[in-house]
Amino acid sequence: MAQRRISGGKLFITGEMCTATDGERAVPVNDLLDRASQRSDKMHSLSTLLTQEMDSHFPPYGRMQMPRPADCHTSALQTPNDKEQALQVSESDLMSLARSLLQAWVDPLAVLSTSAITLPHPSKSSISSKIQELQEHSKSLADGLDILSGKMGPSAQAISFLPYTGGTDLGQDRVTILNKFNFLLSCLRRDSHKIDSFLKVLRCRAAKLQPELC
Amino acid sequence: MKKVGEVVLLWLLILFIHNAAGEGYSPPGKPTNISCRSPEKETFTCWWKPGSDGGLPTTYALYYRKEGSQRVFECPDYKTAGKNSCFFSKNVTFVWVNYNITVVATNSRGRAFSDPVDIDVVYIVKPNPPEEVVVNVTEDKDWPFLQVSWKPPKMADTRSGWITLFYEVRLKLENKNKWEEVSAGQRKTLQIYSLRSGGTYEVQVRCKPDHGFWSEWSPSSRVKVPEYFPQERSMWILIVVFAAFILVIFIWMVYMNFHSVKRYLLPPVPGPKIKGIDKQFLKSGKSEDIFSSLVVSDFPPTTSNYEDFLVQYLEVYVPEERELIMDEGKDLQDDSFKTENSTCDNDSGRGSCDSHTLLTDKGGGDKEDGQQSDQEGSQAEADTKSQEEALEEELLACSHENLQSSNVSNEKEKVKSWPSLFSPLPQYSLSPVNRPNPPKTGQQHCLSDSLFTPNSMPSYFTQPGPSTRKGFRSNYWECSFDHKQSHPLHPQSAAHEHLQAQNDLNTAHVDYMGAPLDVHVLNVRPSEYVEVQRVSVEDGVLLHPVSPSQEDSRTLSHQTEDYSRVRVVNNDNGLLLLQRDAIEEEKSMCPYQEDVVSRASITPTLQNSATGINIALPILDEMAASGYIDTATMFGLPTH
Repeated sequence: MAQRRISGGKLFITGEMCTATDGERAVPVNDLLDRASQRSDKMHSLSTLLTQEMDSHFPPYGRMQMPRPADCHTSALQTPNDKEQALQVSESDLMSLARSLLQAWVDPLAVLSTSAITLPHPSKSSISSKIQELQEHSKSLADGLDILSGKMGPSAQAISFLPYTGGTDLGQDRVTILNKFNFLLSCLRRDSHKIDSFLKVLRCRAAKLQPELC
Repeated sequence: MKKVGEVVLLWLLILFIHNAAGEGYSPPGKPTNISCRSPEKETFTCWWKPGSDGGLPTTYALYYRKEGSQRVFECPDYKTAGKNSCFFSKNVTFVWVNYNITVVATNSRGRAFSDPVDIDVVYIVKPNPPEEVVVNVTEDKDWPFLQVSWKPPKMADTRSGWITLFYEVRLKLENKNKWEEVSAGQRKTLQIYSLRSGGTYEVQVRCKPDHGFWSEWSPSSRVKVPEYFPQERSMWILIVVFAAFILVIFIWMVYMNFHSVKRYLLPPVPGPKIKGIDKQFLKSGKSEDIFSSLVVSDFPPTTSNYEDFLVQYLEVYVPEERELIMDEGKDLQDDSFKTENSTCDNDSGRGSCDSHTLLTDKGGGDKEDGQQSDQEGSQAEADTKSQEEALEEELLACSHENLQSSNVSNEKEKVKSWPSLFSPLPQYSLSPVNRPNPPKTGQQHCLSDSLFTPNSMPSYFTQPGPSTRKGFRSNYWECSFDHKQSHPLHPQSAAHEHLQAQNDLNTAHVDYMGAPLDVHVLNVRPSEYVEVQRVSVEDGVLLHPVSPSQEDSRTLSHQTEDYSRVRVVNNDNGLLLLQRDAIEEEKSMCPYQEDVVSRASITPTLQNSATGINIALPILDEMAASGYIDTATMFGLPTH
């Protein structure tokens, strides 16, 4: 097992990853990270579109009444707040953070998906389809990160548990439902951006062979 | 009084001051349009639009609150970013944190609060334009291209992956207005091809983060492309290649369709079709025959009425004996050529339809009668007439279905064409003329058919006419002889048989006098020639034998017109005179002639013989028409 230290962090790259063993050729880590970052990028784009679609028919003035994003169910997770902090996080930690966030959104996405069908919103069908797509991306990304984290050591595989306590019901009246929906979407947007950022930082850290990408 | 004035002044003063104090002074207007941007996700700047200042100096202050905290901060830097702006440095910039920003305008009269805005730094990233844009023209002189390279904006940290940038290049010719945009992805270099020779290009680059706004375009970089290819030459080369290609295609097409093209440009000249000429005969190579055959009696057709040539119908006309016959004689040529049916095609030059042989065979009756009928004794004519009638019937029957063959009895019918000659020859069934010779249609083919057996019918079936008929002889041979055999006293039926059997035979057959059909044969020996001494007014012709020595060779065929041989004497006042050639032909048929002769005396058979004689008539008539003396006319001779 070889370890390589990369400036600013530790990146554990096992020998199995770097060299072919037993005739089986492992996909290089940077390729995996590249694919993962592309998927997380797509996820964030979808969530951005969702919020814009919600706002198109739901004037932002209503958001003043919404609970602040600081109350997102994932706010307990400590994440870097600026670049210096982010660049000091180890790769494993970054991976762990990304995976934790991803895992934290499995349930809320399900709630959103079911709520979107009966959402009192003119674009609910489009919203519903996007949420379903998000779910798919989330699932595949989680699988990919599982594989990646397996290559990165045990600390990368640690996942913080961030339960969603919002319940399956978003509310009774239209305003409440829409407010909750908007709130969840804003939390999702941020968390998806975090995941994407972490993975892209990881990607550049692992892309020694392809420096032109970073 | 003075006091009142002071009070008034005081009031005015107070009023003035009061007014002066309110005028132009008001609280400031509300600042609006707060927008913030971060160039590298590490700092950000906010700008606002101030409202009215109320006439007083107004100060603006920006306050912000971070999410999850009620603590209010004021903008740390109002200057770096210019007027009405607030610059947030790295120390105060946090990502994934909502900022609630409010701008307050303050003047001595009051203050105004703007509407608060929530921002998250990561969502407002707009990088600076790329830097160090370098555009090079490659050294390749034949096909130069542009090599564009740039660097990311200084502040953006792409190395660590904190920010991911995508680039875009655009270029245009210096004097044009349309930009061409090219995406470069995350690369920092780009090659541009397909340049205009000698053109000057402007190149610009911009960038965009993965989730953010496009930067501004970098300043233009100009570059001049050298002249690398004379455009004229390229154009000419293109034209030449294209023309060569077209030429190849054209040649290939012509080659493929050579024959049709040739036919189109040089249409084939239709070969001459000479009536009365038998190709096979020509091929036989006998020069004398050929020459004589070339001199076709019926060419040029003297018939005035060309239409008759085409009209083919058979009229069986049994006139009042001689007058009619005689009259017919002259007319026959005209009339005769109206054959109803013609198996021959109108345009064919083969002339088989109109073969003289057929004429001579069939035409016998009318023709001869017409021409010389009156010369002979009425007897002959009578014979002829009956014969003619018989023959005519046959002819009618024989000749194509079109013929009114059923009208055996229609003695009134005129057998047109050569058939007209055969008017009194109903008995003979003529094989349908295959070749509708214009002037005459040898419908009387079948006659010949019936009349001959392929080689058994000798003497009778000499070709009483120009050698051309010989050519047809072969055809005749095939004539259905069954006709001949079955025929005798049943001209009609025989004719039908004939007709059916020998549809394809040409008229040449007709040449052969229907010897089998009981053609009357003159007692005159075939080899004997007679000369027409004079024509008696009373329907008689005085014949006087001529030495046969002159008749031998075919070379004398030209002189045949001078001599004729009495072929058959029709007991009905018909005398068949044959021309030399025909006479010669007849020789071969001598043996048979005997039989015919023997039968000639039979009255009933006279008619048959007359038919045979009549057969020759049309041919002879034809010949006469063409200038030859067709002595092979048939006229009835009384059987003595």
